Amino acid sequence: MRVPTRQVYWNIPGHEWMYALFVVLLAVLAWGIWQRASLWRLGRPARRLDQPGRRLAEMNRQVILQARLLRDALSGPMHLLLSWGFVVLFLGTVVVFLKADLGLPVMQGPFYLYFQSLTLDLFGALALIATAVAAWRRYLERLPRLSRTVQDWVILALFALILLTGFVLEGLRIEVTRDPWGLWSPVGYLFGRLFASFLSVGAMRLLHRGLWWFHLVIAFAFLGLIPFSKMFHILLAPLNVYMRSLEPKGELPPMDVEAAAEAGEHLGAAELTDFSWKQLFDLDACTECGRCEAVCPAHAVGKALDPKYVVLNLREHLHAEGPSLLALAARARSAAENGPAEGEGEAVSHLVGPVIDPEALWACTTCRACMEACPVFIEHVPTIVQMRRYQVMELADYPATMQEALTSLEERGHPFRGSTASRLDWAEGLEVPLLSRLGGAEGLDYVLWVGCSAAFDERNQRIARALATLLQRAGVRFAILGDEERCTGDPARRMGNEFLFQMTARENVDLLRRYGVRRILTLCPHCYNTFRNEYPRFGGEYEVVHHSQLLRELLASGRLRVTRPSLLETTYHDPCYLGRYNDEYEAPRAVLGAVAGGGLREMERNRNHAFCCGAGGGRMWAEEAPSQRVNRERARQALATGARRVGTACPFCMTMLEDGIKSETGGDGSVEVRDLAEIVEEATRPAS
Amino acid sequence: MPERADFLHGGLRMRLVVGLKYILDPEIPPRDFRIDEEARRPVQGRASLVISPFDENALELALQMKDRDPATQVVALSAGPASSEEALRKALSLRVDEAVRVETDPLGEPDGEQTALLLARAVQRLGGDILLVGRQAGDWDRGQTGPIAAEILGWPCVTAVSRIEAADGRLRLRHEGPDGLEVVEATPPLVLTVTNDEANQLRIPKARDILATRSKQVGRLSLDDLGLSPEAVPPRSEVTRLYVPVEEHQCEWIEGDDAEAKARALADRLMALKVL
Ligand code: SF4
Ligand code: SF4
Repeated sequence: MRVPTRQVYWNIPGHEWMYALFVVLLAVLAWGIWQRASLWRLGRPARRLDQPGRRLAEMNRQVILQARLLRDALSGPMHLLLSWGFVVLFLGTVVVFLKADLGLPVMQGPFYLYFQSLTLDLFGALALIATAVAAWRRYLERLPRLSRTVQDWVILALFALILLTGFVLEGLRIEVTRDPWGLWSPVGYLFGRLFASFLSVGAMRLLHRGLWWFHLVIAFAFLGLIPFSKMFHILLAPLNVYMRSLEPKGELPPMDVEAAAEAGEHLGAAELTDFSWKQLFDLDACTECGRCEAVCPAHAVGKALDPKYVVLNLREHLHAEGPSLLALAARARSAAENGPAEGEGEAVSHLVGPVIDPEALWACTTCRACMEACPVFIEHVPTIVQMRRYQVMELADYPATMQEALTSLEERGHPFRGSTASRLDWAEGLEVPLLSRLGGAEGLDYVLWVGCSAAFDERNQRIARALATLLQRAGVRFAILGDEERCTGDPARRMGNEFLFQMTARENVDLLRRYGVRRILTLCPHCYNTFRNEYPRFGGEYEVVHHSQLLRELLASGRLRVTRPSLLETTYHDPCYLGRYNDEYEAPRAVLGAVAGGGLREMERNRNHAFCCGAGGGRMWAEEAPSQRVNRERARQALATGARRVGTACPFCMTMLEDGIKSETGGDGSVEVRDLAEIVEEATRPAS
Repeated sequence: MPERADFLHGGLRMRLVVGLKYILDPEIPPRDFRIDEEARRPVQGRASLVISPFDENALELALQMKDRDPATQVVALSAGPASSEEALRKALSLRVDEAVRVETDPLGEPDGEQTALLLARAVQRLGGDILLVGRQAGDWDRGQTGPIAAEILGWPCVTAVSRIEAADGRLRLRHEGPDGLEVVEATPPLVLTVTNDEANQLRIPKARDILATRSKQVGRLSLDDLGLSPEAVPPRSEVTRLYVPVEEHQCEWIEGDDAEAKARALADRLMALKVL
């Protein structure tokens, strides 16, 4: 029996010309990649290549298995098939190369039949179907997150054409050569039968020859476009996933403000060269898929912010300005070598204003939904905050109400300008011990860090009261700092005042060290996140517990007993800084499950997909146009569940949701908003 | 003594002196506000000290004039204890040209007249074309310092100024009078007391400038430097009693079967109390 195989370059005299084209392709690719890669050198240093094991594991999950993409039930499989089709067909071409150019006997026998014929055929067919799905999503379903520019349809059309012509070529060869193994390529075989039904053998030969060159040229064109289009992500996405940040999600990249000021560097990002090379790399890695845009709460309510265009506008700016910046840097270097040149006025090519709309910059709630959705792990929030840093620390140019909050934070230790409450009002009549009286944290289970919102916002004082009552009820030994407590600095850091944040952090770490505090209980996810993820860098290492976690424990161990299960159906709103930033989705649900007899109704967007309440990133202190209120949108989503109660675990979410629900229901009191502590306090009240 | 600016003939090269008082935060929550009746002064406790709000407005006006004409010099001046240097540091972080404290420790807590004398003498010593102060301090609210300093200096005084514009070698001042706005034209030397306005909220310092102030010095002037002695500056007023007034509320329910009966009962009661 003959060994199954096929003749390479059948019917293609002069196929050697292909090599000439191939050399051109390589040159174009090399040039294109160099063009882009050289611009990344404009960035500052960043460490993104350590811990290869950990990086490879995640890369495997995201690039080979495409875990994040598969969250979308239609686009996920579509992309998986397209990308896998691309890879498998590319490998098939490599096998041809091994045989034709290196003379290796790889294209024969069972391998030829199973891989080179059948597998390739199947992957090609699936990729063709996926192409159709992609076209449908973009042009018929018209998903808003997808753009419809020239490059979008050219790339899609090229992909479809390459696959189609490949099948036709295969079919024609099978027909004309009467290939005995033709059925191993079922799709190609069918195409062959189709053409044989109306073309003579001679015509098929001729068509085959012409189409082969066409196929070759468009395939090369597609490859050549890679560095010049969004298709660059084929190369950059895997690298970007590999180089993603391994720092805690809740920590904004720190900066040494004083050193930067001394070195005459910009504080924050004024221009492209203030970013790290990885941030510039991020820009080129964007696939323009719009997943970030689709989940962005600010975008959803019609604000100027669109995270996709934060990336794309910066990218465009990089491509436009990058080359001249490189030339400038080169000139500066040679000037430094040849001694000081004539005083070249350093013109800053500002980002905020010409490239990024200041309104967009300040609209971000730092909710992290975009970063959670981005399949290539682009880091929008640090980039946005870095631009804020420059606006705040160097220009002092930012919304007035946010300025007031930070001035109050600096002068009075809390951002609630104009509050007439004192730090201790909430505790009146509760006999909560003060750390200053006890002299230290020894013998305590926890120091309860109340946070500014629960201390200064009259409504939220009830949360602190409920929690303190619960702790007393369960016999937890705790104390508070009272009027020694100050803001953790989270609002300052998210608004971009890194200087103020660091000052505040150092003072707090000192204070807590003096009292020997090790275990901190917070009722605010922002405080929780700051202690847990940001203070370690300032020497503050604590065991930090959020009240949802402690309440779960107290309920499970029976130290709190449910005496009157609450019968209201409840929906739960995930605070961003508890959920997405710290992956705590289950403790609050367990708490609600234990006390809420009425059952839990999930909103459509829950857990890591939750929609922000609108308060983060300093937005708590921003003025909002009534039609663009994130909290009202979230309130509508909560109301859509039909639940009579909205539970949450963050005082900022409380303020936002209560206001949102009030506006959406006309304040008729039909739906209440409660913190977990309040719900549990009511459900575990001793029967008397 | 620095050269006096030639205001009328040489353009607007002015030297502005702004008086800053560092006071107990007026936004202190009422619950936390305590008074030491013995010492007849408020207790600071954990409350912060801040620049008196109208003085902030005065500083902002001066800085705005410097924005418009960079040749303008701004001097921040505070008469107070060492702690007031914090206020002066803040002023430095807003890029005033000089910051000077008049040491008041031998005087205890100077009253308005004493402060006016100290500021006036300091202005004479430091040189200046305009002295700007808040229209009244956010703690005692007496509003004497500016006008008395003008007396001592022998300069005209415009009170409750909210905006300043320079026009044809003169200053156009917006004065907030009881019946509305007045625009006053004046030429330095002048004393201005400043009131607040949405356009003169004090700007916030930039982190870079805050860092830069670390290497800057606050100048100091002793009574001696001003040619004064504690005896020469006696207080002209004395606080004899300081207390938080106690408000008493009494609540009484007016009974009645319907609105008319209640109204009648209310009217009777008000007449019995001699309110009506
Ligand atoms: S963090 Fe949230 S608000 Fe900011 S850009 Fe991303 S999705 Fe939008
Ligand atoms: S940033 Fe990420 S999620 Fe947004 S469009 Fe680009 S690749 Fe998609």
